[in-house]
Amino acid sequence: MERKGFWQGIYQKLASPKLTVVLFLVLAATSVVGTLMPQGLGEADLQRHYSQRAIWFITTFGLHDLYHTGWFRLLLLFLCANLVVCTIERLPKTLKVLRRHEEQVDPQKLAKCTLNCQFTSNLPQDETAARLISIISEEFGALRRLDGADHLAGVAEKGRWSPLMVYVVHLSVLLVLCGALIGSIFGFRGFMNVLEGEAVSEVMLEGSDRGLNLPFQVRCDKFDVSYYDNGMPREFRSDLTLIRDGKEVLKQELRVNDPLTYGGITFYQASYGAILKDAEVELTDRGSGAVRRFLAPFREWVDIPGTRNRAQIIRFEEDFRRLGPAMVLLISMAGGEPAGSWILIDKDFHGNTIENYHVKVLHATRRPFTGLQVKQDPGIWLVWLGFAAMLVGIGLTYYVSHRKLWVWAAADVGKEGTKIAIAGRTNRNEISFEQEFNRLCDRLQAEFGQAVGGSRL
Amino acid sequence: MITSSILLGITTFAYLLCALLYLSGVIFRRHTIMLWGTVTGAAALAVQMAGIILRWWESYQIGYGHAPLSNLYESLVFAAWAIMLIYLIMEHRTKQRALGVFPALFAFLAMAYASFSTGVNSKIQPLLPALKSNWLIAHVVTCFIGYAAFAVSFGISILYVTRESRRDISGSAHPLLPDLRQLDEINYQMVLFGFLWLSLGIITGSVWADLAWGTYWSWDPKETWSLITWLIYAALLHARTMKGWRGNRVAWLSIIGFGCVLFTYFGVNFLLGGLHSYANTK
Repeated sequence: MERKGFWQGIYQKLASPKLTVVLFLVLAATSVVGTLMPQGLGEADLQRHYSQRAIWFITTFGLHDLYHTGWFRLLLLFLCANLVVCTIERLPKTLKVLRRHEEQVDPQKLAKCTLNCQFTSNLPQDETAARLISIISEEFGALRRLDGADHLAGVAEKGRWSPLMVYVVHLSVLLVLCGALIGSIFGFRGFMNVLEGEAVSEVMLEGSDRGLNLPFQVRCDKFDVSYYDNGMPREFRSDLTLIRDGKEVLKQELRVNDPLTYGGITFYQASYGAILKDAEVELTDRGSGAVRRFLAPFREWVDIPGTRNRAQIIRFEEDFRRLGPAMVLLISMAGGEPAGSWILIDKDFHGNTIENYHVKVLHATRRPFTGLQVKQDPGIWLVWLGFAAMLVGIGLTYYVSHRKLWVWAAADVGKEGTKIAIAGRTNRNEISFEQEFNRLCDRLQAEFGQAVGGSRL
Repeated sequence: MITSSILLGITTFAYLLCALLYLSGVIFRRHTIMLWGTVTGAAALAVQMAGIILRWWESYQIGYGHAPLSNLYESLVFAAWAIMLIYLIMEHRTKQRALGVFPALFAFLAMAYASFSTGVNSKIQPLLPALKSNWLIAHVVTCFIGYAAFAVSFGISILYVTRESRRDISGSAHPLLPDLRQLDEINYQMVLFGFLWLSLGIITGSVWADLAWGTYWSWDPKETWSLITWLIYAALLHARTMKGWRGNRVAWLSIIGFGCVLFTYFGVNFLLGGLHSYANTK
């Protein structure tokens, strides 16, 4: 029994609207922490910027990758649970209220509404009723008649279903989160660099060292950057060909903001760069002054002509320590242990020396590559559906409120005329409803004569 | 030759005049002066609209050809326009003229900051490839309508909080200002309206990010701060409908929410950085 009490206690807590507000504020506060603390820092970055104690604190609570920590996800899970439990608790009540239609109108109760008004008409009941019905259906909407033996009564309603829109919004939040979950379990995100003229099928997965082989190859036929006259880039474009089982299945240009989808996998133009193809190198022997020239392909040993020595380019950077393009050249003297150094490509720098050679790069040929973001996300349709539902839900909550108008009229006992009573209520947007109600009262007053009482605010 | 910068310059001072007219109307309790405030505000809105369209046309003349919504300057101009537009529609619907002081002041401040700050480049610049998309217009317009609604709500909240605290002292109500219940009600409608457009703004941004970068949510600081703003206003709406909060507490939440809007707009750019274009205008 105690166990049941415990679970009931938790259920009760989850059903409380206070928890909703608290969760919103806690999620907001923790998200703030995640924007103030740089995200995705590695071990080395942490060591450089923080003290040991701070690092312990950061890594224990996962502050450097806050949005992916278990406790942040737990908060989201709590929000979902709160949302589901609140819906289970309230939706039946809302539906019950929606299904209930009142059977009669009590003029005593009408006078107690915040918005109510009473008139007397000099006309007999039949004629008053006819005019009343036509005015109300013109100004407000169709009247559902609940007439009694001796009186006219009716209810007119607008936006009866609008209280349900809140549940649509709640469902939409669940849809978005479910879509995100499905995407993160069954989809992947990664990156591939494709050299101009080459075909690649391996994607490097994000956040891991693993690769993934696509069932087809991506060939980059050409990569091109165009510029505005002020030097800003105008467009990045890759001409791609997809090859499956040796056959070209799709040829398409890929631009930023214009992705390409094939077989459920989408490619995005994300970055670009270049690697070194080969370099024409000139070596000057600092002893003898002999000059040797040769062409060195990237990462291949070549013989230095006229000697027993060999050379290889093993690394290339487009901007080495802000000094411009540079490469690492290794030279092995007579088959011995190779020695190497960074060599600046565009500058004839005095530090460009290896062993007893002065090195000068006469020409470097680059090969451009295009950087593609690759992803598969089977949950995205749920996310889009959730977004659409959210907008419909919030939009209709704003634009439509549940407005209700009661009317009652009966012959004034002992006099010629007819007594009229109307009252109104809305679940939201009271000011606009007040204006609507007042307009209706003014028109009735003009039609039937003096108002005898009421509260119109 | 009329240029967009001349029209936008006129707008700046027209908003100042408009704010002063509304303020004098409230201080001297003269409805006619406030009516002139409305007239000035509407005229300034029209001139500004012309200025924005002209700037759009000018960008085509230069050969860049994009909607004037691409950098900090253009977004500030649009923000001022949206604040005034939303306020004037609200004024027309609620028949409450005296609430115009704050919106007109905010519109003036946004225009003045855009025009006179050295940190804001007012030149028409070409679009980076990442921004070349029709989603740019949808995203910026929806976000700024949301921000503008929150700015108007912020003004109402300030008024609410000050009137609430002075109520016990003065006792008598100002004849031209709405009473506290009306202020609270107008404020709620404005927050709900802003919430709808902020949601639209976040969603269009999300769909666009998926198209440009292949991810609809990446916890970029700007994204995260827009979510924080959304959460604060969501808390406000739930506190009001579910817990029955009214008046002061709602007004204070709205003030905090607008603080988040300002941080999302400026703070993230200047302090945190990220993917958004005007993050590095300097």
